[in-house]
Amino acid sequence: MKPKALVAVLLATLVLAACSPSSSTSASTNGSAASTELTVFAASSLTSAFNEIGSDFEGANPGATVTFNYGSSTDLATQIASEGTADVFASASGTAMDTAGKDPGVEDRADFATNQLVIVTPTDDPACISSLEDLGTPGVQLVLGAEGVPVGDYARQMLEQDGLTKQVMPNVVSNEPDDASVVAKVKSGEADAGIVYTSDIASNADVRGVTIPTKQNVIATYPVAVVAGSSNADVASSFVAYVTGSHGEATLKRYGFGPPSG
Amino acid sequence: MHRRLPLSFVVLGVIGAAFVALPVVGLALRAPWGRIVEILTGPGARTALRLSLEVSLLATLCSVVFGVPLAWILARGRFRGRAVVRALVILPLVLPPVVAGVGLLQALGRRGIVGSWLERVAGIQLTFTTAGAVVAATFVSIPLVVLSAEAGFRSLDPRFERAAAVLGAKPGYTLRRVVLPMVAPQLVAGAVLAWARALGEFGATITFAGNLEGRTQTVPLAVFQTLQTDQEGAIALSLVLVLLSICVLVALRDRITGTG
Repeated sequence: MKPKALVAVLLATLVLAACSPSSSTSASTNGSAASTELTVFAASSLTSAFNEIGSDFEGANPGATVTFNYGSSTDLATQIASEGTADVFASASGTAMDTAGKDPGVEDRADFATNQLVIVTPTDDPACISSLEDLGTPGVQLVLGAEGVPVGDYARQMLEQDGLTKQVMPNVVSNEPDDASVVAKVKSGEADAGIVYTSDIASNADVRGVTIPTKQNVIATYPVAVVAGSSNADVASSFVAYVTGSHGEATLKRYGFGPPSG
Repeated sequence: MHRRLPLSFVVLGVIGAAFVALPVVGLALRAPWGRIVEILTGPGARTALRLSLEVSLLATLCSVVFGVPLAWILARGRFRGRAVVRALVILPLVLPPVVAGVGLLQALGRRGIVGSWLERVAGIQLTFTTAGAVVAATFVSIPLVVLSAEAGFRSLDPRFERAAAVLGAKPGYTLRRVVLPMVAPQLVAGAVLAWARALGEFGATITFAGNLEGRTQTVPLAVFQTLQTDQEGAIALSLVLVLLSICVLVALRDRITGTG
């Protein structure tokens, strides 16, 4: 290869590396000139549900290709402002959507799903957990999402509202980067219990879920919106409509999400 | 050195240097210099810094205590499967740290092959403890000690050892008074590199030991967690690691590049 060509290749690699999102799942690549590529940034709790919604949407809209970038909503909101590649943002919290709403701005914002918190334990339940109060028993090893990670913030908010903070927080042995890591720590039996979303364990037989009564629980509301400046605003709008529509709702329900309240 | 280099080489070299330098420049430019002292002396940062020093120094100690004898065996031992042992020992260097963490869980976790026994017999749990963070950091940094010390032992002329033996020195005495002093520079270099690696360890630690302030949350984990809520704070903490790494590299520049 000639040096000039090599430089070009290297430059291209650099540019590509700079543009590629941290963890993207491409539904399909190499779209033809006529196709539209839609980049959707979505909370990692939505992974399974959105993968299905994405391929359904592609089936209903020939020519459209949906690429997902899953991650913590807070991180995604930061990336949306700095990278400018997202067409749609689906967040696990209103706060992260507010961040994106300030910079670069969002349109067509709508709540599309709700999620509740649930206690997870290993299937053999070594610490005998059957209620939120049990999490405060001395010696229970509890893992939560870290502060600033929506699932962690919601869990803390719930414990605070139920007056259990003082009892339960000393039992926290680790603050995990996301809900999947909380489930993994519990599944492996390292932790006795964790608090995650119901959707995290809807299709997971390897952990045991302990339902938290509605009056003790907090409801996480998921907003979705078109990111301002999207080069595919039309397709982005129809994707948002698809997610908020009956088909999207049915898929989300199967993955453990509730309908948006109100 | 006065010959002109081909232009294409210069261009590629400059791109390479800029590529490596840019992130550091980015950190320096975006750092909240106005409140950096306030951030770094805040309770959260201080706890993480203290814990990081503790964990990385203990991990270095473990790496030296177990790594130097291992290097000696690899350099002087004559046994079948030596190449396999060496490859295994170097493995943590190239393994993704998160894989290292998963492996450590299978071995030393509460339900791991050795860990379950440790908990049952001795009541010792490594996961979610500072000791666990030390284990994770040791795992990723021990290869650096072994590599450096083995190179040192190999470069040593065996005749020194034979001479000492002829003069009546016992093997242990020869090792302590002849061999180790002669390879001290390589041992120090290995230890410092291991320390720097331990200081920067993230993936194996968060996977195996978890993330809890004051117990397992070292500076890299604190950077990660602070990033969720306060980007400037995360940058300030990152700069500490950058600065320490640069100090290590400057201190070791002779050993790493072979030039002054």
